[in-house]
Amino acid sequence: MLTKKLPPLRSFLVQVSRHASHIARQQYDVIVVGGGHAGTEAAAAAARVGAETLLVTQKIHTIGALSCNPSLGGVGKGQLVKEVDALDGLCGRAGDWAGIHFSILNRRKGPAVWGPRAQLDRERYRKFIQSELLSTPRLTVVEGSVEDLLVTEPNPEEPGHHKVTGIRLENGSDPISASSVILTTGTFLTGSLFMGQTMSPGGRIGDAPSSAGLSRTMRERLGLRIGRLRTGTPPRIVKDSVDLAQAHLHLPDSPPTPFSFLNTHTRCKPEEQLPCYLTYTTPGVERVVQESLHLNCHIQQDAKGPRYCPSIESRVLRFPGRKHQVWLEPEGVTSDLLYPQGLSMTMPPDIQLRLIREIPAMHRAEIHTPGYGVQYDFVCPTQLSPALQVKSTQGLFLAGQINGTTGYEEAAAQGLWAGVNAARWALSMPAVTLSRTESYIGVLIDDLVSRGVTEPYRMFTSRAEFRTSLRPDNADLRLTLKGFEEVGCVSSLRYQEAVRVRDSLHEALAALQSLVLSSPNWKKKLPDIHICEAKNGMDVLQYSDVSFEMLASAFPECLSPYMEFSQRLKIEAVYKRHCDLQRKEIARIQKEENMSLPQDMDYISLPVSLSNEAREILDRVRPSTLGAATRLQGITPAAIVHLLHYVRCIGQKERQRHRSQPDQKEERKEDLCASSASLPQ
Amino acid sequence: MLPSVYHGIWRAAVHTLRTSRGTPPRRFLSSCDGLPVGLADAETIFALSSGHGRCGVAVVRASGPASATVLRCMAGLTRSLPPPRTALLRSITDPQSKEVLDRGLVLWFPAPHSFTGEDCVEFHIHGGPAVITAVLQALGSVPGMRPAEAGEFTRRAFQAGKLGLTEVEGLGDLIHAETEAQRRQALRQMSGELGHLYQDWSYRLKRCLAHVEAFIDFSEDELIEDGVLNQVDRSVCDLQAEIERHLKDERRGERLRSGVHVVIAGATNAGKSSLLNTLCQRPAAIVSPIAGTTRDVVETALDIGGFPVLLSDTAGLRESPDLVEREGVRRARERVEQADLTLVVVDCTNLPSDAQQASAFLQEHLRSVLPSQEQPETVFPANRFLLVLNKTDLLPQEQKLKLDGELRQVSGLSPFCLISCHNNEGLQDFLTVLHSHVKTLCGDPLSGAPTLTQARHRAHLQQCFAALAQYQQYRDIDLALAAEGVRLALTSLGRITGRVGAEEILDIIFKDFCIGK
Repeated sequence: MLTKKLPPLRSFLVQVSRHASHIARQQYDVIVVGGGHAGTEAAAAAARVGAETLLVTQKIHTIGALSCNPSLGGVGKGQLVKEVDALDGLCGRAGDWAGIHFSILNRRKGPAVWGPRAQLDRERYRKFIQSELLSTPRLTVVEGSVEDLLVTEPNPEEPGHHKVTGIRLENGSDPISASSVILTTGTFLTGSLFMGQTMSPGGRIGDAPSSAGLSRTMRERLGLRIGRLRTGTPPRIVKDSVDLAQAHLHLPDSPPTPFSFLNTHTRCKPEEQLPCYLTYTTPGVERVVQESLHLNCHIQQDAKGPRYCPSIESRVLRFPGRKHQVWLEPEGVTSDLLYPQGLSMTMPPDIQLRLIREIPAMHRAEIHTPGYGVQYDFVCPTQLSPALQVKSTQGLFLAGQINGTTGYEEAAAQGLWAGVNAARWALSMPAVTLSRTESYIGVLIDDLVSRGVTEPYRMFTSRAEFRTSLRPDNADLRLTLKGFEEVGCVSSLRYQEAVRVRDSLHEALAALQSLVLSSPNWKKKLPDIHICEAKNGMDVLQYSDVSFEMLASAFPECLSPYMEFSQRLKIEAVYKRHCDLQRKEIARIQKEENMSLPQDMDYISLPVSLSNEAREILDRVRPSTLGAATRLQGITPAAIVHLLHYVRCIGQKERQRHRSQPDQKEERKEDLCASSASLPQ
Repeated sequence: MLPSVYHGIWRAAVHTLRTSRGTPPRRFLSSCDGLPVGLADAETIFALSSGHGRCGVAVVRASGPASATVLRCMAGLTRSLPPPRTALLRSITDPQSKEVLDRGLVLWFPAPHSFTGEDCVEFHIHGGPAVITAVLQALGSVPGMRPAEAGEFTRRAFQAGKLGLTEVEGLGDLIHAETEAQRRQALRQMSGELGHLYQDWSYRLKRCLAHVEAFIDFSEDELIEDGVLNQVDRSVCDLQAEIERHLKDERRGERLRSGVHVVIAGATNAGKSSLLNTLCQRPAAIVSPIAGTTRDVVETALDIGGFPVLLSDTAGLRESPDLVEREGVRRARERVEQADLTLVVVDCTNLPSDAQQASAFLQEHLRSVLPSQEQPETVFPANRFLLVLNKTDLLPQEQKLKLDGELRQVSGLSPFCLISCHNNEGLQDFLTVLHSHVKTLCGDPLSGAPTLTQARHRAHLQQCFAALAQYQQYRDIDLALAAEGVRLALTSLGRITGRVGAEEILDIIFKDFCIGK
């Protein structure tokens, strides 16, 4: 069942102040700027942790809008959705509410790389997110445009180090103060829209551009390194104008599998799901692209675009003479539009029309809204801590495309984690980090803050070294318990469910292990299976032709209570051996990650034996842990040993100094090398 | 690309240093990454502990939980272990083939009364390279055994509280020195035939992994033909067969030259080839007054005071328009990079007569000849080079004495020798200095000992081979676990050829496939 009944929207809208001058208070713990996937998760997470939170967005109406593709999840991305859900985030449940075509990708390739995915109804998704936010305690939503970020002058003792104090809105009202500000500006930071040869300021078609003040403050006052990236979106096609008979029908899974651990089924009934269609590009498409290159400024720019979500222009230019897939995806139950996945383009609208009509199924198609390109600023994410806080500016957190990522799921994951840490910062609680050994969110954040990005960053399962342990099926066991016990972003309802699941799985695994039979006896119980050298039920369940259901019917008295977990138990059995092997490696890495490096370390003049190259790398990246430092190219083991030795020595000196003159910071310094939480500087 | 032979070394050190902060010593948690399924996860390490060179007895040591097993199966002690710390004369056999490798002493040191505090075994065997190689390879074939990383015995000893903190303070430097020695050793091998073979395997494995990963991450949305996996199947099969053949091949492709690698380098016409000829007491290299006579590397094996030395004469370092000579200079620089010891030869008649200027000239000369240092603020490690001022017969006696006296005052130039290859003046002193250098280098079991590197390579290749079997095992059942097999194989091979990161795999994916989602 869906645990959350959707409340009538109207009753909530009255709680929202439409203009900043009407908001009840001038002081919040956390202010979130932006209402996209990162901003909504951030605001909800901050409020869940217990912070008085304000979400500022240009239009309440566009909160939770799916700016690009009408889908959620996929291979790698689906893992992120499951993890966000396990930490009580919104997008998993919103996907279950708004999904109209569910499928598990990679079904034949092993549960570790299954990719839960859904096509979404744009309206339903937006409304679910809005109603969730507007009914979240401690969360206020306000319409407005942020004129500037308010920061203190740098501390004279630490030049270049600022502290955030709040924001000022464009309508000229009084500043709103907060301990933490989370910027989730997406493509709006100095965004430019491109179509053909025209260029206009903005981050999304139909929305006002963001204030130049924010961008200026980031660059000039805070001195942050800023880069530029580009992305694009395809034209939306009028469904009735497409000859769907000429495309391949692609049916969803039936029954659909929900994203959320709290849901046993989706809102959409199996038979109500809508299909997708697959078509291919033709040589004509390539011709149109070639002929219109001179009319296409976006493609001529040198800002880095994603290699894995390229425009049709870059696809045919990089791989000429091949046919490329184009998926036609439904935009919603009542929508009369189709979304042509794979046809992101930036040429002038008349040429866009010519191009799509080169595809047989669309030979008479009409464009509802033309595609366009966006170029936008991003903040080089190596300037962030693993809590997603800007290292040089206390209280300033960044999440989503502003950190150089692409994709809803990547944005949601960062938003949630930035929200958690912004709230904890405001409430004077220590920062929390997720390791890359325990979650895809950890992989995402670690890759961003310790390696940086050169192109829009997207999650792939191949980025996760411990992919066989970080599966979509066990995200709750990995994160929900920690989310409640250590992080504080999980409701007790969800926690209790996770505890029940964990305990039941433990019991079931113990029951399986206690089923010890000789080979002839196994033969009697499971006559169709050829079993050799199996010791217990776990071993037998590993066999590819044995299911938990078969075992449960052979041993109903001890296994039937666990039928609801049959799939999870089967996966556990298959992966157990590999996960046990990985556990040692994981323990080793976690040990390294638990050793923090002070953020204010002067690597250039550090009195230890380090090469200039190593000093420069360390100075530029400022890894927050020794684990992160080892993953840097150009850092030798010897350099790490020298570094560690130095850190340990100063850690001891600090402790001695504080013992002689105690002050309230002692506890923090004490953890210099050993804290699992990264230190605010 | 530098082979990352030191992968995993430092973290063990990190662990050691950390536990020294007061927590009780725990079992050593070194990396078992890359250890494929099926190999035991216990951490037992082994190494040649004595130096090499001409010696009667070599000591091979093993430490860790599998030590007792090793002792039983290699010394034929099936019934009971020998009394602790008592030498026992046994036949030492290969546990697989049961072939007798040598007859020697075995010693059993049960924990905690051993050097490392763990169960330890020592084999005192005959010092010939064939015996040492055979014993090391036999040890590597026992499940759960692997060659020790640089400094690992020392770290374990510290871990068990067997060493004081001051000894461990130098751990970073120790690891640096040992990884440097391994790096040079590996560089030598990687530039040879064997290196090409491993690089080729690594390249093919990377492509296999990239293609499996592409199939996993993108095939649902993109046009990636099923044929991609069939190609991977074929490649994995081929690789398995090749690695297996290689492991069985006793010739192992090329002979690895044993001995301390000493390279003669310097400017043209400094008398490098004359020095080579003087040292080997025969005209191995052509000498002439024409600058640039030596163009290729001239190599000769020598015995210096009982230690094996591989002496190479190289082309004089200078900018030359001649293509052949330029190649010679490139080879010369490569040799210096791989050398254990470089003899920097200088024509002393070219030195400025003022002592200070002469010293600056020599410093500058060293910088131009020796490879750039990782630690620029420190002077060149004194045990890595020897400055040879040649042609003293052309200097007036009093100027020679003055030069000698003044240069001895300058730090950073020492050690240096004044010699004349023409009339052998100073040669005896030079040989004494050279002998002591070579002796020091031979005391380090890592430098110049190809057997150790061979054993290491063998262990990693065996792991690689086993991991590829995991791909085959899971290919049709669970592609994620199959990919894990290829990944483990690549990690094992990466211990020889250098680590491969996720980004590198993604680069191949994007180069080979049109990914659009």
